Formats: sequence, C-alpha cells, structure tokens
Amino acid sequence: MNPIKKIFDLTEPHFTGSGRFARIEPLFDAAKTVFFFPSPVNRVMPFIRDNLDLKRYMTFVLVALVPVILFGIYNTGLQSGIARGQQLDVVAAILLGVRYVLPIIVVSYVVGFFWEILFAVVRKHKISEGFFVTGMLFPLTLPATIPLWQVALGISFGVVMGKEVFGGTGRNILNPALTARAFIFFSYPVSMSGNVWIAGTNGVDAVSSATALATTGVDGGTITQALSQAGFSLTNLFWGFVPGSIGETSALCCLLGGAFLVITRIGNFRIIAGGIIGLVATSLAFYLVPGNASTWGHAGPLYHLCAGGFLFGICFMATDPVSAPGTNPGRWMFGFLIGFLTVVIRVVNPAFVEGTMLAILFMNVFSALLDHGVVKYKSSKRIPNV
Amino acid sequence: MEKIKISKGFTTPLAGMPDIGIIELSDPRTLGLSAMDVPHIRAKLMVKEGDRVQTGAPLFYDKRDKSVQYVSPGTGVIQKIVYGERRRLHEVVISLEGAEDFVEFDPISLSALGEVSRQVLVERLKQGGMWQALRQFPAMDTADASHTPSMIIVSLSGNDPFSPDPGVVFEREQTALHFGLEVLKRLSDRIVVTVREGSLERLGKVKSSVTHTVPDIYPAWNPGAVLYHLKKDSAENSSWCIAADHLVMMARFLMTGRYPTQKIITVTRGREHRPHILTRQGAPVKALIGDFIDRSLITTGRFNGRIVEPDDHLGFFENTLNLIDTPDGEELLGFIRPGKAKATVSKTFLSCLFPEPKEVDCTRHGEVRACINCSYCEKICPNDLMPNFIMKALLSDEIENALECGLLDCCQCGLCSYACPSKIELAQILRHGMDALYKDKQ
Repeated sequence: MNPIKKIFDLTEPHFTGSGRFARIEPLFDAAKTVFFFPSPVNRVMPFIRDNLDLKRYMTFVLVALVPVILFGIYNTGLQSGIARGQQLDVVAAILLGVRYVLPIIVVSYVVGFFWEILFAVVRKHKISEGFFVTGMLFPLTLPATIPLWQVALGISFGVVMGKEVFGGTGRNILNPALTARAFIFFSYPVSMSGNVWIAGTNGVDAVSSATALATTGVDGGTITQALSQAGFSLTNLFWGFVPGSIGETSALCCLLGGAFLVITRIGNFRIIAGGIIGLVATSLAFYLVPGNASTWGHAGPLYHLCAGGFLFGICFMATDPVSAPGTNPGRWMFGFLIGFLTVVIRVVNPAFVEGTMLAILFMNVFSALLDHGVVKYKSSKRIPNV
Repeated sequence: MEKIKISKGFTTPLAGMPDIGIIELSDPRTLGLSAMDVPHIRAKLMVKEGDRVQTGAPLFYDKRDKSVQYVSPGTGVIQKIVYGERRRLHEVVISLEGAEDFVEFDPISLSALGEVSRQVLVERLKQGGMWQALRQFPAMDTADASHTPSMIIVSLSGNDPFSPDPGVVFEREQTALHFGLEVLKRLSDRIVVTVREGSLERLGKVKSSVTHTVPDIYPAWNPGAVLYHLKKDSAENSSWCIAADHLVMMARFLMTGRYPTQKIITVTRGREHRPHILTRQGAPVKALIGDFIDRSLITTGRFNGRIVEPDDHLGFFENTLNLIDTPDGEELLGFIRPGKAKATVSKTFLSCLFPEPKEVDCTRHGEVRACINCSYCEKICPNDLMPNFIMKALLSDEIENALECGLLDCCQCGLCSYACPSKIELAQILRHGMDALYKDKQ
C-alpha cells in the first residue's frame, strides 16, 4: 500500500466521528483530498463523468501563474540590486527576490487558509480549492515593500468580506484577491503609492521609483519621451524589467499565462480578447483627440497594454469565472468595458493612476446585470415551451 | 433527406464499440416485465404470484389511464412480483413453461389498414401492450390518444452512443417499418424519421423511409434534440416520439395479431467488441451480460438510463446494457497528472491531443462544489440551454424563470452533469424540476 495512503488511513479515526480532532475534520479532509481524489461511484445518470474537477481547474490557474511568479521574484531582486547600484546575476537576483517575495506569499496563504478553515469548520463544509488561486493572486498585486501585517489584514478582508460572507467560492460577487488589494489600496495608500515599488531601498538616495503610469511628460515633451527617459521604454515594459507590483510588470509573462488559460479553456478567451479590444479602442480614441501630448491620453495602445497591471488583471483577475458573467455575450461586454474603464480611469482620473483594479471590481458588480440582459434576450428568442 | 445540424454534444470517441454480427440467445428460463423504465407510471397489478399467463396477457395497467396495459412477454407462471422502495412495483417475473401460447387478435393487412378507424387502432394498440411505445413531449409520458400531435419523431438509433446499429436491426424489417409508418400517418400529419449519419450506409432499403439525418454526435439522435431543432412554433412542443424498434413491434403486432417478443440488444464494455444479441423482450440481465465481474456497474445507458442488478430483467424501452468498470482505488495526486488516456471535454488533459477511443469508468472524479459559472454545461448542451442558470432558478424555486430559460426543452441527455467540473447533478436537478412541474399540472 502507498505509504501516504497509510498515513491518512491511520490518522483518519482521530478526525472523524467521535475522534479527538473531529472538529477540524475539514482540514484533514482537505489534506487528504489533495493527495487522493475522492471518487465515489455514480448512482444517478449520467453514469460516467468527465475527469476534470475543480481541483484541477484551480490548479491550472496556478500553473499559468508560474512564469509570472518566477519573473516577479527575479525582477524584485533585480530592481532592488539596481537601486543599490549592484549588478546582480540571475541567481543572486532570484535569491534576493525570494527574500522579499516569499514572506508575502507565505503570509497570504497562512492567514487566508486560517480564515478558510475557520469558516469551513464552523459551517461544516469542505475547504474549497478556490483559495489556492486567491492566495497567490493577491501577493502578486502588491509591491515588494508592503509590510507583512498589511498583507495579513488585506487577505483577511478579501477572504472574509469578499467571499465567505457570501457563502464561499462560487457565491461571491467580487474577486476576493482584488477585494483584498482594494482594501490595502484605500486603507494604507502610503504603502501602495509613491516610492514603494522597489524593495530594499531604505537609506539609498536618489532613486526614482514611481511606476510607469505615474510618469508624465515634462516641459511640453511627449509622454513617450518622458517614459523612455525614465527607463520605461516599450521593450522594457514588455519584458518587465521595470519597478511595479510583484506580478504585474512583465507583459510577456502575463500573456504566456493568459495563453495557457485560453488554450486549456480554464480562462475564457472572450474576456481577455474583449478586454484587449476595449483597451486598444479606447486608448486609440484618446490618442486621436488632439491636446496635451504629455499625458497618458497620448501614450497609445501599446503603452497602455504593457504598462501597469492591465494584462495581469485581464488574464488572471477578470477571467475568474465566479465573478465574471456566465454568458458569452456578457463576457465580451464585461471584457470590453474593463478595457474601456481602465483607460478612462488612467487618463481622466488623476487620483488613481492604475485603473485596472477599479475597472474589474466595478464590472464584477455589473456582471449579474449583463447576464440578466443576455438571459432575457435569449429567452425571448426561444420558442415558448410551458 | 434533410440534414439536421447539431454541433454541440459529446464527441469523445469511446472504447467498446459493439460488433456488427448477431448472435441468437436461446430462450431464457425467466422473463420479466419491468415498471422501472417507464416514466411517470403508477402501476396497478392485475395478476398475483402463481397465476398462469399467456404471451400478450396484461400484467399491470397504468392507474392514470386504465386502458394502457402492460403485457406479458412470455407464456408461463408468475414466479415473483418484486417491489422496490416505497412499495413501488419493480418488476413481474414469469418463469417460462411449455409451448408459447399467445393472446390472439385479428390480423390487419396493409391494404385493410385504411379501413380501420383511428379509434379502433388506438384501442387495439392499448390492449396489445404496444401503445405505451408512443411517448409525448415534454414529460415523455405515454401519448395522450385524444390529442393529435403536430409531429411524430421516429428515431432509428437508440439512446446510447452504442445502441444497436439500425442497419443490423432493420435489415429484415423493411415491410414492418413501412407498415408502422402507415399506422403513424393515421395519428399525425407529419412523420419525421431520423438516423445517425454514421449508420446510414448500412441501412439498405430502409434508407428510403428516412426523412432527416443527424450528425454522429451524442445525443443528436435523441428525439428531444431533434424536436428542438425542427420545431417552428409552440404547438409542436407536445409532439410524440417513438423508437423505430418499437414501431416495428407495433407493426408486427397489428400484422400478425400476436405480441412480438423478439428484440436486438447490445452489451458493451470498454476494450471489448461484442456482437449484437437477438433475444426476447424482458430477458434476464444475467443471461445477457455473460461473465459478470461484481466490481462493475451495469446500466441501460451510459448517459441516460438506470442501474440494473444482475437479477433484474431488461425493460420495455431498453435495448442496451453497459458494463462500466470501477477503478481500483484513488489515484495519488490525480488532479495534476497529465492524463494521457482520460476522457474529457475540457482541454486540461493530454488526452485531448490523442484521438483514439477512451475507456470510461463509473466514478465521479471529484467532489461536489458550488457552481462557478464555467459554462461547460452550456458548451455541451445540444438544445442550447444554460443548465447552470436553470439549476439556480430551480434551487431558488423560481419556476417561472426556469421555464423561461427553456427547462422543458431539456432532452435529459445527461451531458451537463457529465461535463460539470463542480460535479453538480445538473441533469437530475432539471429532471426533478420537470417532473415536479408535470405532476403539479396533472
């Protein structure tokens, strides 16, 4: 017999029935089902079932995040090294990056799982695998300099208020990871704006570490000139060698992850495509309006795509099936409006330089309305059968 | 011959395709008349254990319409009356004895068919135990004889991907099929005869009777799916349907005046290519499946049907048995394995790159979770329903919403439950919703 199976079989009596630890049975159950799929025989039709289940579904989002995570760790180390005036090689940069990023991820998972387990135990339901994704997405949207207690507070808010009060995974209205980030963003703005995007710069002078989106043209110069002077050339933005949130800097890695999600059909391509179309169309419209060339309104679609967290948001956050619409036309509109709102917030609203988070949360609220409209329209086309 | 275009459905090739050959089984010792495969029936027994019955003698009737009789498939003594849960009649078992003795009716020839009134025809079919072969949409209840349906759909292919091949079944039955279609023409103005494109070639002369072909995607040949794609207005919602093998039985019954007892069935199992079996109506499952391994599940359809025990008998509506394996144990880290041979409609297993037939088993492959709106059910539903929205409407008792979303267009193919990664019993929830509504209206 498999030794892991043996361990579970031996310890099971303590966690079930009248065992000593029966109260935390969900925890045992979650650990066991990670290793061994529960697979009861079907007693109602259909008697055969697809092999895909929610564990695999959610795991695939984590797989899609691998390039983003790895690059995020490397870039954190790299940027920190540059700020200190050191030329770090790949290994050194990764090691330095791990020092900053790993604690954030660990805190996010530990605190988040605490709340998940608490709710599962109290409600006596299963621990949902949805948190695997939330717990990883949230840290990737934060700057590496974030204090760990804020990470803990943020993920607590995201899990409890963004998800559990609605009944858990599948019943939430907002994306929990973004809810968590929004909480930090509005509660502790100092940790989320200004010179916070490069880790380990305490005591280092003369480092400009705002993000690309905070840049504006100076002395009548265009925004694109100002961006390349500040080191935010289009190539840099695309590859991701710029300061920013841990996971958002590399457009390439986000696109790789997004492509993986689309190919495996875990993420819906309509949301991603709709979002990119919305962003490109809106930024083009702003680009064509004559006016002050030094603002982000004149940055053009490519800069809008590659700078900031748009691609990260549209590939990993907006495609969260629970908070996105459940109908295909709804998904197109949802994506398009996220792209549209992202540009509008970036260009028109001077208070928030990054619009993606707000755009997605705003559209999350409206996704039920989009669905309602689509369902009504589809029903009206149906031959009535009552 | 028109083509009906249905693009959504189950396309994964499955292992276990039956052979085209036929073997004939000798008469079994017992026959059974099951009440479990008849939807909505409230059976009332007319016999008791120890009674002698002839072939074609009524054994029970439907309490809701006493004229609809269910008749004995053989001559012998009632050996056992089996009840299921809540004293529901499960089946009546007859032990065969001596020579076959039929309840005789006057035969009707094809030329005389025109002179028989519709009422006489209906009465004859009801007495002979053949009327219930006609089912009425949307609840699939026994056809209401007082109603003239705007369409009768005849399906030459059964309810399973591996139901008996129409070419094999109807090779010698062209006259009977023709006769049967003439009978149906007395009941409705529009007769639709459908067959899978893949079965068309072997069909021979029967081909001329076919009016519509459907693609080889399960459940395109399901009458419910055919109706959904053909109907133009809501009057057609209460159309009727009948399986072609029942139509042939109906014709044989009218032509000879005797209850037809033969039936061709398939028994399928992954890896094996078993031939079709010519046997009797109501044959015992044990005799049909051959060597039986107790670890597998025996069902009368992979997606749609019921579980049968080896001691049961095949029902009137059933013509296929599936032996579905139960795998040995739980797989270590199953959720992240590449899965080279796993059947799936998703693109998350390597198997989607390999077209060869997949073996399936009868386990659930995961735990029940809340619906995450992934739309796998919508992507596979042949009738363009959104089962996830209907399910939510039903669970919150919004029956009007569910109806508006097309609840009654569901053809109960079971594909939504098959595809759901949250392992929600969508098909069952929809079916319960439909049944509750139907019961309420009666």
